[in-house]
Order: sequence, then C-alpha cells, then structure tokens
Amino acid sequence: MISLIFFLCIGALLFSSLFLLARRNPRSEGSSTALVEAQQALTALQTGLLPVALVRRVFAREDWEYVRSEAPRSVRELFMDERKSLAILWLTQVRAQIRSLARFHRGAARHYAKLNPRLELQLAISFAALTGACRALQLFVYVAGPYAAPQMVGAVAEAAGRICKTSEQSLAFLNAARLSALAIPATTARL
Amino acid sequence: MSRWLIPAAGEALQLLLLVRGARAHLIGRYRFFYFYLGSVVLISIIMTAVFAMAPGSPLYQRWYWPLQFLTLVTGYGVLLEIMNHVLRPYQGAERFAKFSGVAAFGAIFCFALIAPRIMPHWSPGTVIEFERDLRCVQALFICGLLGVVFYYGIPIGKNMKGMVVGYGLYILTSLMSLAVRAYAGTGFDRVWDIAQPLSFDVSLLIWLVALWSYCPNPVPDHTIHLEEDYEALVARTKSVMGAIRAHIGKAARA
Repeated sequence: MISLIFFLCIGALLFSSLFLLARRNPRSEGSSTALVEAQQALTALQTGLLPVALVRRVFAREDWEYVRSEAPRSVRELFMDERKSLAILWLTQVRAQIRSLARFHRGAARHYAKLNPRLELQLAISFAALTGACRALQLFVYVAGPYAAPQMVGAVAEAAGRICKTSEQSLAFLNAARLSALAIPATTARL
Repeated sequence: MSRWLIPAAGEALQLLLLVRGARAHLIGRYRFFYFYLGSVVLISIIMTAVFAMAPGSPLYQRWYWPLQFLTLVTGYGVLLEIMNHVLRPYQGAERFAKFSGVAAFGAIFCFALIAPRIMPHWSPGTVIEFERDLRCVQALFICGLLGVVFYYGIPIGKNMKGMVVGYGLYILTSLMSLAVRAYAGTGFDRVWDIAQPLSFDVSLLIWLVALWSYCPNPVPDHTIHLEEDYEALVARTKSVMGAIRAHIGKAARA
C-alpha cells in the first residue's frame, strides 16, 4: 500500500507539472526587457514610493495621536484602516522587489555554464524565506496594526532606504548607456 | 470492438505522424523522437502480424515484454531530445537539470535498495514492477526538467511543449496503471488493456497537433552580455539578500 501511495504521489506531481506547463504563458523571463523593467520598477520605488521621509510620514505616530484626540470614533477607525492598508501595501512593494531581484538572478544565472546547483538551491531557499518573512510581517501588521510596535516605524523607514540602495547595487551593472540603449525597444514593445 | 479500434486508431495516427514529420522536415530536427516513434511503429506492426497470424501462439506473450522494454529505452531518447532542445541555449539551467536528473535517478535507486528492507512485502521482482520503476524514473526526470524550466522562466515552443505534454501524459497513465496493477493484481487487467493504448492514442493526437509544422523554440535574448562570472553573480545576490534579510529582521524585532 505504501509503495502504491508513493507512485500515486509522483503521478500527482507529474500531472500538476504538465497542467502548469499547458497553461503557461510563453513569455521569456530574464530578457533585456525584463531586466530594464526591473530597473525601472526599482527607480519608481526609490523616487516615488519609498523615500524614507514618505515612509516616516505614512507611519507617523503623531498623526494617529492627533486624530485620536480630535476626531470622533468613526474617523479614528477609518484612519486606522487606511494606515494599516498603507503599511501592508508597503510590505507588498518590498516583496515585489525581492521577487524582482530573484527573477533577475535566475534570468542571468541560467546562461552560466559554471552554475552551481547547490548554491542555486541555497539561493532559492533564501528567496523563499525572505518572501515568507515579508508575508509574516504583513500578517503582523494586519493583526496588530501599524502602531502596535512603536519602534518599528523607524526601523521600517531605515530598512526602506537600505533595501532600495542594496537592490540598486544588484542592478548596477546595467549602466546608464546600456539602459538607454535598451529602453527604446522596451518602450516600443509596450506600445 | 474497443480492443481493435483503439490500437488501429493508434497505428493510423503513428503513420500519419511519421508522414507529416517527413513532409514538414521534422525528422532530421527531432531525430531521437522520430527514432522512438519509428521503433514503436515497427514493433506494433510485428506484434499485430504475430497476433493476427497465430492468435494462440506463445510467441506473442514471449515477445511482448522485451519489446515493451525496448520502446521504454528508446523513450529515454525522447527525454534527451526534449532536454537538448529546451535547455541547449541555457548552459546553467541545463547543468541544473542534469543534476536534478541524476538526483531523481539516485532517489529511485535508493528507494529500490531501501524499500525491501523497510517493507518486507515490497519487491521489484516482477516485470510489471520493474517497468513501473523505470516509468517512475522517467516521471521524476520530467518533473525535474519542468521544475528547472519553471524556476528559470525558460520559454518553450509549440513543438517541444507538445512533445513534453504528450509523452508526460503517456508516462503518467503508464505509471498509474502499472502501480495499480502491481497492487491490485490481474483483476485490473481489463481496465489496463484499454487505458494503456487509449492514453497512447491521446499522446499521439497531441503530438500530431503540436508537430504539424516546425515551430522553433524561442531563442533567448542576448542583448545583454554580462561581464562577470557566475561566482560574482552569486556573491552579489547573496550579499544583497543578506542585507535585505537583516533589515527585515530588524524591522520585525523593533
């Protein structure tokens, strides 16, 4: 019976793999367009979505204290819901950035003849652990709210800046000249 | 009626696939696949002739399993064909897939060694169980290959997609029916007699649609030429991840 279950499990694994393949979008990852998109997403996060001052503003406790002292209960609830949504959205962006980095690494690594499977497995586990940590933080904010841990605000704001900086380093090899050469076909492709 | 109709449909589809392969100049491009198909056609013609000329002859019974194993071995050529075409432009991913293939084979080998010790009733003694184990290796190899394809986001063209899905479905049905047959005994033979050729007909139909004309695998974009080696890439990715992990940990602890 155990051997039958073992083979049925392998059959189920094969079936799900084939099903995913049949439904798969044929888009190639790691192409120059994808890399440029990763770089553009990072720039957008750095300049528009995640500057340290903006994150501090979103998590500012004095806003909550002002609303709590001045506004009625319904407004306080609305304010808290909005801030919670913002915090969760911010964590979603961090996750997206990690995924973008993972996609970039895979897109580049697949061409290397000297690829080390053991290292690749380690990296895959690390990426999964990181995205899992982001998920856990999202859950924490969802359950306890954005002001549950007062010191979290400062650390989160600092983390935002550093994450952007480190991610920028990961894409640094795409220098400005090469990016501008690639940006034209990327834009045309979207049109 | 189904005892004749399903194999007859299969033979017609095989011949059509070979004719179409010749007309679309696919035989030269997918040599291993068409060698497999040719061997299946030849074997089914011989077996049908033996069965038609001497229905009660023990010759059919005697040759059934050796020829079945021959098609199973040539079937590994299909897997080689798929790996060559899909992963050839991606040397890193190909290396990873070979590693996965060896790991899958090692896992089955270890299972075959350990299973009789921990499960006294289990033994790969019969022909059916031996074929089931070989099909299991093929199934794990396809799973590993597809895992690599999904993980590295490698695009697959219509020809290769059809080849993988068709062969994968056939292996899936074979593995399932062999596993149930080994467990349930001869009572399962009536279902098996229909399920096995029917699944092969479905695979042939998928191959016929996918291999109607030549559709090359998408070529990777080489616009960007990375100027660094793999170790540098891994080291940089690791350091970036370490920094992100530290910041997230710090944020969570605060």
